[in-house]
Amino acid sequence: MGNRIFQAALGGITVIFSGFLIWSMVSLVLMPEGSEILESALSEEMLYSIHLSLSTSLLSVALVMLLAISIGYLLARFTFPGHHLLRTIVDLPMAFPELVLGLCLLLLFGHGAFADWLKSVGIHVVFSKWAIVVAQVFTAAPYAIRVVYGTFRGISPRYEMVARSLGYNHFNAFLRVSLPMARGGLFAAAVIAFARCMGCFGTVLILAGGTRMYTETLPITLYLNISYGNLAMAMTSGIILIAISLGAIIVFEILNREVVL
Amino acid sequence: MAVFLMLFASLGWAEEPLLVYCGAGLMKPMDELKAAYEEEFGTPVQMIYAGSGELFGMIATRKNGDVYIPGAAKYTQDALEKGHVVKEGMTDICYHVPIILTPKGNPGNIQCLEDLSREGLRIALADAKAAAIGKVSSQILEKNGLLEKVNPNVVTRPSTVNQLLIYTATEQVDAVIAWEDQATWAQGKGKVVIIPIETSKNIIKTIPAAAVSYSKRPEEARQFIAFITSPEAKECWKKWGFPVEKPE
Repeated sequence: MGNRIFQAALGGITVIFSGFLIWSMVSLVLMPEGSEILESALSEEMLYSIHLSLSTSLLSVALVMLLAISIGYLLARFTFPGHHLLRTIVDLPMAFPELVLGLCLLLLFGHGAFADWLKSVGIHVVFSKWAIVVAQVFTAAPYAIRVVYGTFRGISPRYEMVARSLGYNHFNAFLRVSLPMARGGLFAAAVIAFARCMGCFGTVLILAGGTRMYTETLPITLYLNISYGNLAMAMTSGIILIAISLGAIIVFEILNREVVL
Repeated sequence: MAVFLMLFASLGWAEEPLLVYCGAGLMKPMDELKAAYEEEFGTPVQMIYAGSGELFGMIATRKNGDVYIPGAAKYTQDALEKGHVVKEGMTDICYHVPIILTPKGNPGNIQCLEDLSREGLRIALADAKAAAIGKVSSQILEKNGLLEKVNPNVVTRPSTVNQLLIYTATEQVDAVIAWEDQATWAQGKGKVVIIPIETSKNIIKTIPAAAVSYSKRPEEARQFIAFITSPEAKECWKKWGFPVEKPE
């Protein structure tokens, strides 16, 4: 009997929570009229925002994966003093609010020695479209690094050792053996990174300014149109973001199954 | 942020608080006045701070709340026309004066409104649709024939006044057009320089307060408005940089 109650409680909690989640998402989708969604989705502002979100996110994902593969591999294959500290530092941005990360990056890229050097070579990061990419990379990288680190940790170093004993140098063993074996995990990391980049709000808002039709990504479109009182546009950008996240999660789940197998 | 405040407000903890929709730029004096009101009348007050337009949208869609205090009289006028606020008890609280704000040391050497059009400067202006100061700064520039000349220098159009202050204090831009009171905000102290705009070239706004028409306790709403326009309250407004007499 006790077991039954325990199982029923677990099931109940799960059903109630996931039920509310689905209910909230469905109510957002059903709130505006279909014609409103279509009109908003095809407006110049929305098309600009979708295009900008996709192009910056794809570029950011490429950069994030370069970082994640390098750092994840380093953490998984080498032990060195400060190993634990490095993991903590890399994980840290996951725990603090995006606005805080945005402020930190604003000061790094817009104020002080590094910013002055960038300006002297003609690079203005703050308020530009590059600021979106920088914000996305710093927001998404910790998640990707985690996944890639876990993936490399799950691949026995023996494969590389065998490859090296047969004549490969370390780089070739990494490139020809470990990297292909990590394929599923790397794709999963890229999908998670892409979802984080698309949804990145606070960091982008602070660093890129959130200027309409210039540094306006989808979450910024949602935010700006709430400020304007334009609910149809706000809800449509929300729906598009949900659709993109849903797609990303489905792809992630499929790839993740591959990794497990 | 606003969403969470709304959540807490709708949970109805303890005594139902008086719900006040207030322009985000008025946070400092209003926080003080809210505390003073709660102490004097024993009624909890729930403040929702956001951009004036955003608040307008909240009142229009949620049809609740008791008091609306936006950053410019235009919003209460519009709300009156749409029936969101009532005329009775509607009043002006104080003035809101646009000024030019530069980082410490004024690196762009800006002395007057015309200087904003100088080539190579980095200027931030608030989004004209989202924030009252955004609309006003466009109007001021237009009135003085500077809009086209200043536009190429505008590097960003953030949607809140607080972003303007952060960007100025951290020297991301050479100048912004903001409200005078922002310079007296504690976090701005010593980090920013105020360059006044000549009154003849300026557009000075009044900050109004009105009772929301959906309020279930209109007497308390009017009592709150009377409280924040009392002589003691006027000292508080002045302290935070909101003149109660129209500037010359």
